[in-house]
Amino acid sequence: MLSLNNVEVAYDKVQVLFDVSLDVQAGEILCLLGRNGAGKTTALKSIMGLLPLKAGSIRCEDQTLSALPAFEVPKQGIAYVPQGRGLFSELTVAQNIEIGLMVKGSGSDTRERILDMFPRLRERFKQRAETLSGGEQQMLAMARALSMEPKLLLLDEPTEGLQPSIIALIQDVIVKMKQQGVAVVLVEHHIDTVLAIADRVAFIENGRCPEVVSIVELQNNQGKIHRYLGIN
Amino acid sequence: MEFGPHLLLATLEGAIGAAVLALMAVGLSIVFGIMRVVNVAHGEFYMLGAVIAWWITSLIGGHPAYGFVVALIVAPLLVGAIAALADHLVLRRIDYDPERTIVATIGLLYVLQQLTLMTFGADARPVEAPFNKRIALPWFENGADGFAMYWPWGLSTTTYKLAVIAAAVVVLIGLWLLMTRTRAGLIMRATQLNRDMALAHGIPVEKVYALVFGLGAAIAALAAVLIVPIQQAHYLMGGDPLLLSFIVVIIGGLGSIPGTIVAAILIGMSDGIISVFFSPTLAKILATLLVAFVLIFRPQGLFGKRES
Repeated sequence: MLSLNNVEVAYDKVQVLFDVSLDVQAGEILCLLGRNGAGKTTALKSIMGLLPLKAGSIRCEDQTLSALPAFEVPKQGIAYVPQGRGLFSELTVAQNIEIGLMVKGSGSDTRERILDMFPRLRERFKQRAETLSGGEQQMLAMARALSMEPKLLLLDEPTEGLQPSIIALIQDVIVKMKQQGVAVVLVEHHIDTVLAIADRVAFIENGRCPEVVSIVELQNNQGKIHRYLGIN
Repeated sequence: MEFGPHLLLATLEGAIGAAVLALMAVGLSIVFGIMRVVNVAHGEFYMLGAVIAWWITSLIGGHPAYGFVVALIVAPLLVGAIAALADHLVLRRIDYDPERTIVATIGLLYVLQQLTLMTFGADARPVEAPFNKRIALPWFENGADGFAMYWPWGLSTTTYKLAVIAAAVVVLIGLWLLMTRTRAGLIMRATQLNRDMALAHGIPVEKVYALVFGLGAAIAALAAVLIVPIQQAHYLMGGDPLLLSFIVVIIGGLGSIPGTIVAAILIGMSDGIISVFFSPTLAKILATLLVAFVLIFRPQGLFGKRES
């Protein structure tokens, strides 16, 4: 579905990603794990075309994403929930979802299906995004992404700062997407979430991807988590 | 003329100035709000609108209304297209960098101004109003015989001046509906709020910027077409409205359309009234002083939001 081939990314003269190669298949959850500043968010932004590549290429199915202008990337079926949610804060819940629906020209059926997944948003439909609680904002960010009917979902710390019930809801939605054949690239610091839902884990360290392991391998060798994240 | 009727006359003149200023400043405000570009050339788009209106009306014979109606449609479209072209050729190439766009639009200001001078000359050009019937205005006085209405000499306005105010109100309402009720407005607001996430939702941000820059310039040109039968077209006419527009946009809050309209009414009316009773220079001094106070005590403007 998605493959990064020898990707290098730099902010001006400061290189952040070095020779990163990754792939994720349809119906798979790949988690990027690494310390702060390792380059995980940069990897997601470069997939979305928000950062230009210095070298390498990014492909999604038959399309070379890195050759497209950034606004064409979501039209290939790729949705992105950034760290901090990236909501259009002064727009309402309805308008945020409407912008997601516009990508594929989806209609009210899709909107209703999304709102069924997040009933709380139905109650807040006319409310401005900036007035929602943190959990509701994360639901809206997910709902907006799902309203694009993606085949690849990029999630940057979707459970950060949320209460356990909302984390469980977000996890359920991610698993549901996977079951529907959506590929998911997840940047996540909650190890419990990673172990619960990921299929594979790619460790990112100082802008490189030294190792990709299956979740079973990681469960059997949790020393890797200590090695790459410095936690037990 | 007594003080009361004189004040009414000054208020009417101020209202015309406020109406045109509101249009001009809203154009500047949407460009800054959505693109973060301080468009120093905005006054020249206004000037171009007026000069093109004169050119069109001088080409079309017959009743003045024919030429004026054509100018009202063609001048904003032409100026909007010129602005969109400038966006494509200049602003996009410097990646809309806030500092460099200021320098670039200063350059654009001189290019447009000097090209106009070379093409149309330095003379002030009149445009005949499509209709201009004088309307005498009454005044009321509570005298010895009770409340009485009379018609003071010189207290009058024209149908055209009232039409300018009405047209500005209609355009501003239309712009508000465009921004709040249409898909195009939703896309523009999303781009304003978060450029990267707009891109991540398939919005062609550079096209939106070209459209917004063109729209801002077209609104300025429309304001100029409306005012040119009252003021005349001249290649240096963009300076004062630009200064007042910046004052209005800063007081109202950068990027805030409601704030811009309220500030335009405040500044336009006070400019008109102070100019009539004292001097236009004093009006500009007070407006600039007000900007200084706003920048010191409420830098985000009356309706703007403080950057988090």
